[in-house]
Amino acid sequence: MLVLALILLPIVVGLIMLVMPSRDENPVLAKSIGTVVAAITFVLALGSKDSEFSYQWLSRPFQAALHFGAGSISYWIVLLLAVCTFSAILATNLPRARAFIGHMLILEGAMMGVFLAKDLLAFALFWDVMLLPVFFVLLGWGEHPATAWRYFVYNFAGGLALLMATAAFGILFGSTDVIGRPDVHVIGAWVPWIFVGFAFAFLVKTPVWPLHTWMPLTYSDTPAPMVAVVSAVQSKAGLYGLIVIGMAFMPDYLKAYGGVFVVLGVISLLYGALTALIQNDAKRVVAYSSLSHLGLIIVAIASFNPIALQGAVIYIIAHGLFSAGIFITLGYVEEREETRSLVRLGGLGASNPKLAGALCIAALAALGLPGLAGFVGEIVILTGVFQAGYTWPAILALIPIVLAAAYMLRLFQGIMNGPQVEDLPVRKDLGWLEGIALAPIVLALVVLGVNPHALTTFDPAAYNATHVNQGVATR
Amino acid sequence: MGNEGTYPYLLLLWLLPLAGAIVNWAFGPQLKRAAGPLGSAFVGVSFIATVLMWGAATQGVPGGAIGAHQSLFSWIPGFDFGLLMDPLSLLWTLIITGVGFLIHVYSIGYMDGDKAFARFFAYLNFFVFAMLTLVLSDNFVGLLVGWGLVGLASYFLIGFWFFKPSAVAAARKAFVINVAGDVGIMFAIFMIFASVHSIAYGDAFAFTSYPSGWLFAICLCLFIGAAAKSAQIPLHTWLPDAMEGPTPVSALIHAATMVTAGVYLVARCAPLWSHDANAQLLVGTIGALTALVGAILGCGQWDIKRILAYSTMSQIGYMIMGVGVGAYEGGVAHFFTHAFFKAQLFLGSGIIIHALNNEQDVRRMGGLRAKLPFAFWAMLTGVVAISGIPFLGAGFFSKDLIIQGALEHGHPIMYAVGIVTAGITAYYMCRMLFITFLGNYRGNVDPSELGIRHPELAGTPAHEEDDAHESHGRAPAWLMNVPVAILMVPTVLIGWLMFGGENSPWAHFFAQTFPHETMAAPAPVSEMFTAVIVFVCVIIGIAVAWMRYGAAPAAENAVERLRVESVRMPAVLTNAFYFDAALDWIFVRASQLLGTLFGRFLDPQVIDGAVRETVFSAQWLGTLVRSFQTGLMRTYAFLIAIGATIFMIYYALAAGGVK
Repeated sequence: MLVLALILLPIVVGLIMLVMPSRDENPVLAKSIGTVVAAITFVLALGSKDSEFSYQWLSRPFQAALHFGAGSISYWIVLLLAVCTFSAILATNLPRARAFIGHMLILEGAMMGVFLAKDLLAFALFWDVMLLPVFFVLLGWGEHPATAWRYFVYNFAGGLALLMATAAFGILFGSTDVIGRPDVHVIGAWVPWIFVGFAFAFLVKTPVWPLHTWMPLTYSDTPAPMVAVVSAVQSKAGLYGLIVIGMAFMPDYLKAYGGVFVVLGVISLLYGALTALIQNDAKRVVAYSSLSHLGLIIVAIASFNPIALQGAVIYIIAHGLFSAGIFITLGYVEEREETRSLVRLGGLGASNPKLAGALCIAALAALGLPGLAGFVGEIVILTGVFQAGYTWPAILALIPIVLAAAYMLRLFQGIMNGPQVEDLPVRKDLGWLEGIALAPIVLALVVLGVNPHALTTFDPAAYNATHVNQGVATR
Repeated sequence: MGNEGTYPYLLLLWLLPLAGAIVNWAFGPQLKRAAGPLGSAFVGVSFIATVLMWGAATQGVPGGAIGAHQSLFSWIPGFDFGLLMDPLSLLWTLIITGVGFLIHVYSIGYMDGDKAFARFFAYLNFFVFAMLTLVLSDNFVGLLVGWGLVGLASYFLIGFWFFKPSAVAAARKAFVINVAGDVGIMFAIFMIFASVHSIAYGDAFAFTSYPSGWLFAICLCLFIGAAAKSAQIPLHTWLPDAMEGPTPVSALIHAATMVTAGVYLVARCAPLWSHDANAQLLVGTIGALTALVGAILGCGQWDIKRILAYSTMSQIGYMIMGVGVGAYEGGVAHFFTHAFFKAQLFLGSGIIIHALNNEQDVRRMGGLRAKLPFAFWAMLTGVVAISGIPFLGAGFFSKDLIIQGALEHGHPIMYAVGIVTAGITAYYMCRMLFITFLGNYRGNVDPSELGIRHPELAGTPAHEEDDAHESHGRAPAWLMNVPVAILMVPTVLIGWLMFGGENSPWAHFFAQTFPHETMAAPAPVSEMFTAVIVFVCVIIGIAVAWMRYGAAPAAENAVERLRVESVRMPAVLTNAFYFDAALDWIFVRASQLLGTLFGRFLDPQVIDGAVRETVFSAQWLGTLVRSFQTGLMRTYAFLIAIGATIFMIYYALAAGGVK
């Protein structure tokens, strides 16, 4: 039942906040309610490890259940989601706060549904629902409505593919209540098509090159608190799906198309990093860095190596933490300076040292500084990828690490260091509430950077990542 | 490797500087001037704990494990972490905490009055912690963690005065080049892990059946990291720029400790290098080249800190050459002596810079012997030591070990390069000494008369510095002088530890640490002969410097002579052999060009353009978009979209139900 509460509590509260009459706007009240609900959700999420809920929903044309429960990977993503939503709501400082926080809560609940779903149909349903709050926020708070439509068209195309693949899966194999079952392994004439349907949805959502052009626009237009959650958690839905659906049920096909995934992943890695190097919009630098970083996880999954898979899970969490951290701090910067152009910003660190410190830590985690969680993910993934025999992808994947240092420092120094470029407003440094919003993220980055053991206790064999060649020396 | 156990002193000495960093960082505003003594105390106690670890670090049975090993935790099977303190890491730890402590104390005086006094000590303590992590790790990933963190500390401290654009750029350059090195070490780790399924030193060194060519590849990749960190050609270009940082930082990080991490890495991986002659040849050659190039470039500098920076690069080239060819004890010995005399030289130059209100251009100095007698003696002993004047300074003993070692291991060309470089070293160090301390003071001469083309670029602009240093000299002068005075003792004397060949204390200390190779043939010349040849070269170097800068006629019309030398300085020297320009074109500009191509053209025009044409030009979408502009529609749209989703699911199911 606990898992059901995780999904329903934010959605119900969010819907109530949306439909409430808008005459007496009280942003403080809205933020308080949102923060409390997010905090309760976090506490519930902590205890959700062995919780399960199942309700037989359909018996024709195939078995489908409203079946939810936390698996060994999804537990950590759910915690990440709860932390990021809490931080993002606490960091919200926008007009029409009530409606915005309502959307934030619905987004949280819908994503809870995606990551907790044990049934493919429930997974696909919540997949589509989680697109809507972002779409509406882009329409209501974004700078260009076209961005909202671009997000919608891309991701709904993916959602549609997902839905059709799910339906086909159910009809062919009789049941969609399969996520997390190690005994399910499908083959057959139709399976390649089903696999392609899933893969398309997952690759659009992640995104991977060349399906990514909705993403920089979305990330720069969405208000910082929501884009923090979207880049931290929503972008992981595709990667998560690739592991628990693609890899678990259709390993033969993932392996057959493995080369394509590796190539797309490596292109994303390099393309994203090089493009991030010249962006002048701070949020776009992070958007393209996301393209680059998530390409690494695609390579990790496609390499079918247990160590790379463990690294992928570490990096999924790490990337979530640091991208949320960066977007939230960039939101603070934008609130203070009313711009996020690296050409106009400069020297903010002199008047806002705490803000500079926060952005510094998040940026350092993103560029893979040893001692923070991002580094752990990178080195464990690439050790596994190399062990699996992918020598050239491992070599090419090292280049973006150097580029990341360049573009992340350009971002940080461009905002915080040097002399002031323009006569931008001088505002107060981070307040304690703003600091509390970042504290759990920073803490988690450090703790997991020192020892990520908790994240790697799952058995890679459960996801079929066992068919590996054990490296050159023992081949 | 190492005797397993629980060593509280080891944990203590490792974590104390971290605690100091956190305290100084968190309570900086409250601590105010107490931050300096507090930060120094943490490092001082860490040094005492290091001394208390001496016994455990050197105990061991011949042929068996030596030193202390403490396990910590494990990420995943194969990624096990722990601390290892053996003679090699003990030596580095002693320098890091010992010399580090002295430089902390010196900094209390040097940084006095800076707005960010506590932040400075937080970074300095953090650096000590990071460097200890590097040398105490028992595995490659832990080493890499320390490797990256010292890079971060270096970044923070180079860019300490972050309102200066030049400091910001220098910090970024140093960091990015060092990440390129980190990546090399990462790839070495991949190869090691794929071979032995472990990241531990012990497993990697004990393994003997690396696939063919892998051992060289591993050594090469490790050396990319070493070259970036230790400023070896062609990855050295960040080091001269790093002098933007405060002078104590240059002494601690960019002279005594961090930049020698590459030497540590090669010495630590001696079992790998000793099994691959090509790797030895490569590293020895790069080291020798760096020693020579650094020394030549040192002859053409006018900024006192940049002269010392190039000399650091050159001296590390010696060390790398030593450990590269297999003369591990010599290479490590030169690290040890260099840490003292180079720290002293930097701290001495700091006293000058401090006294002259941040002037760093030696052309605007001159005649400082009378004004700053203590600084003169500090610099003089340092110059004697680095030049390798027999028996009078520590550098003589360690440098000769390397030069002779190169010959003993069968590398006569490196041997010759080492001798020539020794002469050049004596020349440019004496040049600096004579220009700075002899003749008349030139600080009041018009910069253009001295051939200084951009006076605002020479040294640190005074007005900006005033922001940081509100008031010089509130702290007593002894705070800066005493650490330098203490350093003078080892600078002069410590080399005697290495005297006596096989029976020296030095050889005993490392008796069980390094692999002992059987020499193919005894060196054709004796150590004595080498020492004489080196001495002759050194004397020539000093004599030339004396004639050009020190002797009475040169000192009398120094202004004119310096102007002529500045104007006639070959472009190849002022551009430092164009390494910077080459790296800039090959890597920086190429990346930016590709990024611009992708970001400004390919992404918006080609990839997105195709989608835009097919999807977004459609009439229906435009109408829909417009209808959503009105506020009310948004509220309904949410419900509509949920309805649509449910409808689609139903449709999908109904379609399936036909079957």
